[in-house]
Amino acid sequence: MFMTPLATIQLPLATVSGGNLDLARGFQMALQSWGVSPGLAHALWLPLPMVLVLTAAVVGVLASVWLERKVSAAVQQRIGPEYAGPLGILQPVADGLKLLVKEDVIPDRADGLLFTLGPVLVLVPVILSWLIVPFGQNLLISNVGVGIFLWIALSSIQPIGLLMAGYSSNNKYALLGGLRAAAQSISYEVPLALAVLAVVMLSNSLSTVEIVQQQNSAGLLSWNVWRQPVGFLIFWICVIAECERAPFDLPEAEEELVAGYQTEYAGMKFALFYLGSYINLVLSGLLVAVLYLGGWGFPLPVEWLAGLLHQPLESPLVQVVMASVGIVTTVLKGFLLIFFAILLRWTTPRVRIDQLLDFGWKFLLPIALVNLLVTAALKLVFPAFFGG
Amino acid sequence: MFGFLKQVGDYSREAVDAAYGITQGLAVTFDHMRRRPITVQYPYEKLIPSERYRGRIHFEFDKCIACEVCVRVCPINLPVVDWVMNKETKKKQLNNYSIDFGVCIFCGNCVEYCPTNCLSMTEEYELAAFDRHSLNFDNVALGRLPTSVTMDPSVQPLRELAYLPKGAMDPHVVPHTDGRAGQLPQEIAAAAPESTSHSKEDSSI
Repeated sequence: MFMTPLATIQLPLATVSGGNLDLARGFQMALQSWGVSPGLAHALWLPLPMVLVLTAAVVGVLASVWLERKVSAAVQQRIGPEYAGPLGILQPVADGLKLLVKEDVIPDRADGLLFTLGPVLVLVPVILSWLIVPFGQNLLISNVGVGIFLWIALSSIQPIGLLMAGYSSNNKYALLGGLRAAAQSISYEVPLALAVLAVVMLSNSLSTVEIVQQQNSAGLLSWNVWRQPVGFLIFWICVIAECERAPFDLPEAEEELVAGYQTEYAGMKFALFYLGSYINLVLSGLLVAVLYLGGWGFPLPVEWLAGLLHQPLESPLVQVVMASVGIVTTVLKGFLLIFFAILLRWTTPRVRIDQLLDFGWKFLLPIALVNLLVTAALKLVFPAFFGG
Repeated sequence: MFGFLKQVGDYSREAVDAAYGITQGLAVTFDHMRRRPITVQYPYEKLIPSERYRGRIHFEFDKCIACEVCVRVCPINLPVVDWVMNKETKKKQLNNYSIDFGVCIFCGNCVEYCPTNCLSMTEEYELAAFDRHSLNFDNVALGRLPTSVTMDPSVQPLRELAYLPKGAMDPHVVPHTDGRAGQLPQEIAAAAPESTSHSKEDSSI
């Protein structure tokens, strides 16, 4: 008597559609079996992945802030945060709480509306970009057909927010920082898009799910990084520049510009910038993993491993295990790349603004173009290996 | 045509060199991650100041003869020596003595020249105060002895690198009984019989 409703919930929740775990369909079918209309079931489902991914993004920020502080400390032979929670894991929470209760200052003669709108315009597109980050076959908010293109489009909104913040602050350092940020974002967007284009050419799709699927036929060996090594490097450099991280952190170069466009910001508005930059970092790490390192794909094909253990692919247990492995793999790859970015921060000196623009336009852009042409040629010559 | 090819070749060689340099740098930073922290966790751990540490100055009121040599050798004539002539004993009588440690540069000249050794350097360096006037120490404050970090139960004392035993790099794991690297002056003196006989000869002459 008591067991029957539980069983009816569990069966549809583990519904396997086309050989893959589909939580959305399972949830909606479970609700419909209780007599809820399909439209209402869909509406009830919609906020769940959004809230989940937003939570994941914020937890990712906390983790990456902690990682940044601990790794920075280790590189400099310090110990880093130690007293806020075990190993200082609560330090980012403490930082956030402090910013939350801090006075929110709008400087005298600054444009209040634009000053407030700036950080929002920086943060919102970054959060929106999480729409297309896949953690598994059906484990993403929305499998948009133009997936990766949507991300490029959204990330070009960011410089407007940065410029807005810098210009409205009524501060020369903020203005310079804002202009630098805009110049940097615009010039690194071009090679970034070209690198993505080469990947899209290989997989014949803009959808992130299909890009990952196409990489996972033979585990580690079929990852895009082997077919696109140059593209991988270009994409990685551009992504670091887009995140305004060292060695490309000159929009907020503290030695010359105080804090760049963030100079006049305090309290919650500064926290938005801070959050935005780290969400962007985590997102970038995940997207590099998705585009070049096989996304949720385990280095050995999971299907092959399941076959080795004589487990049917369609069984709910295998599906759940595969989904968990996928999530863990994606996050692990993303955080390995974040770790690499942090290490790079303490290794490389900051470039000058002219070097930055030279590097973007005179080095990365031609190489990205050549890479694109070579990829196209290879695709025509070896359609079997380069996604004909 | 070949000029262009050479340009391309040079350019790519430079790019490869730069990549190699960055890789080397990454290896250095990555290697640093496995090294032990060199920082001292200050309020909980403190370094034992070296034996010639020039900290806050200690003053012994009863030894002072109010000669004011300390004032004369001080770069800024800082010590305030408040004395009166005692007509009966025909001696200077010291009423007050003070040094303002907000101004003192801890050069140690006063300690060096004091004829009665009533001034001495301590190992106290924690002179933070809410008000700069509270750094103006009178003879009572100057007469207090600082708490040694080795005596403080709430502090883990750490030896500086030069005071560690030979081969030791980390003060946390060194037992307090281990001697420092090298010989102490007494040990050098004890291990040199020739020079002692020489000094005997000297004294006999």
